[in-house]
Amino acid sequence: MNKMAKGAIATAVGVILLAGGGGTLATWNQAQNSSMGSVVSGDLNLVPVSAGAWTDKAGKAITNIAAYKVVPGETLTYTQQLDVTLSGDLMAATLKVTGETVNNGFAANAVVSTTALKNATDGAVLPTTTLRAADTGKVTATTTFAFKETTANRESVNANYNFGAIGYELKQLAPAGSNGL
Amino acid sequence: MYWATNQYTTTPLPTEAAMKSTRALKATGLVLVAVVLGLLTVQGSYALWNKFAGANAGTVQAADFRISLTDTKTGDYTDMTLANGTAATFALSTTPTGAVVPGHSTYAGVQLGNVTNAGGDFTVRATTAVPVIDNNAVSALAPYMQVKVVAATALSQCSQAALYESASSNGTATVDIAKTATGVFCFQITLAATMPVNLSGQTAAIAVPITVNQL
Repeated sequence: MNKMAKGAIATAVGVILLAGGGGTLATWNQAQNSSMGSVVSGDLNLVPVSAGAWTDKAGKAITNIAAYKVVPGETLTYTQQLDVTLSGDLMAATLKVTGETVNNGFAANAVVSTTALKNATDGAVLPTTTLRAADTGKVTATTTFAFKETTANRESVNANYNFGAIGYELKQLAPAGSNGL
Repeated sequence: MYWATNQYTTTPLPTEAAMKSTRALKATGLVLVAVVLGLLTVQGSYALWNKFAGANAGTVQAADFRISLTDTKTGDYTDMTLANGTAATFALSTTPTGAVVPGHSTYAGVQLGNVTNAGGDFTVRATTAVPVIDNNAVSALAPYMQVKVVAATALSQCSQAALYESASSNGTATVDIAKTATGVFCFQITLAATMPVNLSGQTAAIAVPITVNQL
């Protein structure tokens, strides 16, 4: 055989071998889905239900605290509802009042309560209370301001007590065994 | 004695200086690492979810406590408490004007206004103290003068003699004044008909202290 013929035969054998090699694809094989599903994150949110409201001692609403002037003997109450959202199997959080620093122009003539937080069932929510997903719901914050009757002469006229720094912080607690990442 | 003025100066060899420099750099590096780790550790606690909501409670403001005094006749006006915090002294004019004839009376009045800017109820009670007749040492008019004070609803009532019939001489009066309302004190000053003639032409000042309290 001439060289051309030998080359053609060799090429044909190679093609046949390649085709034979392709046969390995025909061997058994199987693919499986992992069924890992999706990882879904929880939620943590704190939103005022509406603007807070001031009321006087008789429970009458004060529509604009900026225009209202108190006199000795009055007690005003500030109430604000907050919507707390907590979801997640290991969700844990605390809710506390922040910014209760004294900004008091009334000196000793006014008494301001520590802001109290209560849940929907009127249970106290303390800064140390651990809230879980089941605690999702409304929390009511209440602060009272009392202008003491014992204020003498013209003490504290035109005084101011600024509540502007007060806020509420809902903060997640690290799950047990947290990896610290 | 602990303090001394003697000083000895040594110059370290170059190799000693280099070693000290290296140690110092190492120490600085350790401190930096410690600080960074410390900061990261603290910051890490803030990496968890948290949400803040402001209270928006605003500012509570105290009202002013202002009582105005207005003269019956002239309409002159002052605050009971002056800007410097002291009590005002307010001179009242009398009706009729001029000298008082023995056996006759003259009248004066002052209107008190509760001009507070209080947001809620704010009623005050004004009370007069016993009138003080302060004539000078030369004259002796006081025993012959009678001052009656009564509360009224309008300044126009002050010159009506009938208003004072039930009032006691040198007595006191009280009036309650609601927020933004006014009250009136009327004064009747009578010179006794028995006043000696030699006291004619004398003058006497009558002071009526007024105290206002919040109810």
